[in-house]
Amino acid sequence: MTDITASLSPARQPAKPHRHGGVFTRYGFFLLVIAVFIAFAWLRPTFIAPGNIHGMLMSASIAALMFLGLTWIVAAGEIDVSFMSVAALSNMIVAGLVQSGSGWALATLGGLAAGLVFGLLNAGLVAGLRLPALVITIATGALAASVAAAIGLGTSISLSNTGFVGSILNLRLGVVPLIGVIVGLLYAISWFVQEKLTFGHYIYALEQNRAAVVEAGVPVNRMLFMLYVLSGLVSSLAGVLLAANLSSGQPYLGTSYFLDGLTSVLLGGMALKLGKPNVLGTLAAVIFLIGLLNGAALLGWTDSERQIVRGSLLLIGVGLVVFARSRNRGRAHT
Amino acid sequence: MISGRLIIRLLAFIALVAVIAGLFWTQNAAFLSEGNIRALMRHMSVQGLAALGLTFVIVVRQFDLSFPGVASLGAMTLGWLIASGMPLSVAVCGGLAVGIAFGLVNGVAVARLGLPDIVTTIATGGLAIGFSYFYSNGTSISQNFFMSGILDLNDRKILGLDMPFAILMAAAIVGFVVLHASRFGRGFYATGENRTSARFSGIPTRTLIVAAFAICGMMACLSITLLVASSGAANVTAGNQLLMPAFAAVYLGAALFGRPSVGATLAGTLMMSTMLNGFTLLAIPYYYSDAIVSTVLIAAIALFDPRVSGLFRTLVAKKDKTA
Repeated sequence: MTDITASLSPARQPAKPHRHGGVFTRYGFFLLVIAVFIAFAWLRPTFIAPGNIHGMLMSASIAALMFLGLTWIVAAGEIDVSFMSVAALSNMIVAGLVQSGSGWALATLGGLAAGLVFGLLNAGLVAGLRLPALVITIATGALAASVAAAIGLGTSISLSNTGFVGSILNLRLGVVPLIGVIVGLLYAISWFVQEKLTFGHYIYALEQNRAAVVEAGVPVNRMLFMLYVLSGLVSSLAGVLLAANLSSGQPYLGTSYFLDGLTSVLLGGMALKLGKPNVLGTLAAVIFLIGLLNGAALLGWTDSERQIVRGSLLLIGVGLVVFARSRNRGRAHT
Repeated sequence: MISGRLIIRLLAFIALVAVIAGLFWTQNAAFLSEGNIRALMRHMSVQGLAALGLTFVIVVRQFDLSFPGVASLGAMTLGWLIASGMPLSVAVCGGLAVGIAFGLVNGVAVARLGLPDIVTTIATGGLAIGFSYFYSNGTSISQNFFMSGILDLNDRKILGLDMPFAILMAAAIVGFVVLHASRFGRGFYATGENRTSARFSGIPTRTLIVAAFAICGMMACLSITLLVASSGAANVTAGNQLLMPAFAAVYLGAALFGRPSVGATLAGTLMMSTMLNGFTLLAIPYYYSDAIVSTVLIAAIALFDPRVSGLFRTLVAKKDKTA
């Protein structure tokens, strides 16, 4: 039952270095993003109005922050389905503390502490005790969501002020919100760690062949432990930002981020690295997804239609990843 | 067939349930009243049917996260068919067909096309939720329900048992025969244990995986049919409440009895329903139920994990030596 990695990585055989990937396969996704955005801008000029771009970048930054830890966990061949509930919990803790009169500083710390606690819980159970990641994170996610709902007694909490977090969110450089720059920097650092440092290469190696990495003397469990703690922390930070952005605590905000998170990571995995989840791909996919949903809303699509678009994109992303890998290996997966 | 170990586990399980029930009974004497036990069994029926379907998928070592969404779509299909005046049997079959169809899609995607199970089923579940809005734009459907006879599925009695519980028992017996008394069932377990060696032993592993997903989808829709029958309306969020209890029941049962099986899943469902019912009687708000279930689930998986229980045993042994 612990063999979740196998399910996420049908390519057990060591993949050959893919040299054939031409410019189009490599950057095809980015070309698609640009094409779709141009189409939206042409159909609905408001799509590229400064206010709309600012709003989209704001949502994209917060979402990208939430999915940063998830990208690394999926890259390492594990899974975390509790990230969105941790964000919802930290969101509700901030809202609850602010409403009860504590300052934003304390509330922010409280929200981050929840992320740390759930990150440590996931890390201890999955990386420490080597329990099955999917079921454990389903359970911890449900626990977080349940506590989040309990804080607001089942409903949302609206906030009268957004404190210093709100003023940070309001800072902007032209159309780019400051928080977007910060998240961009975080992603740049993550890219450096993932692509240029041995730590990042160990993560990729972990997904390919865990036993070999263990044999090579890499402290695999300690690495996974760090990744789960990181995922809890960035998710809770996103939850804190959402409290200020929505100026309320929403106990059920997790559900909408669940599909988006996995879609971004998987779809992004197609870009650049042909099937390996990577931070730049996730960032591009988040921007694409937010832009697509926003554009679709401008075109008047209903929520359910957009939900179908999300689900289809996730399927397409997964399909492309598997297809790219089997083509790399020259024969289909048996 | 019945080994000594199994009897010990069974006795331990009965003792555990008795202790839990006893604790609730001391808090609120109504817990063991006939009305409450009937309510408990109804609750268990809905959760148990979904969990039984999931058991097959877990036995072949796959995961299905789509069944809550598929169940919602099944509920809306059922409601729409009833509202448009179809006979009850057609409506129920329509709902179940949705479940089978999505199960087949999942199964083919995972077993034939080699897509990763978790992400694929999350995607198809998302699609199903999207489709479920098409019938009524997301509003709940309850026209014609009273006349159609679907409420009888909840209210009628068979052999003194409430209809939902009778359906659960029938499904459990069929499931037991398929999984534990047929070559088919051996094939499911063999596929889960070692897919390669199962295939070389002549077991149609891919077909069995597809079948497992189809069974899971169908059972989720059957369970949601009972839920629709008891609430008297179909709505698009109906399936959401199935995910956590179904996984908890299967894993709780597997932790208690060593491996996932029909009996283990029923035991897991019984234990969870007992706890949820008890806490409801103690007037604990609904939003705590997931917290209770998930805490129990994490504790069960951790405690019964061979490494952890081994560690625990060595600790106890050390203490015994020092004492």
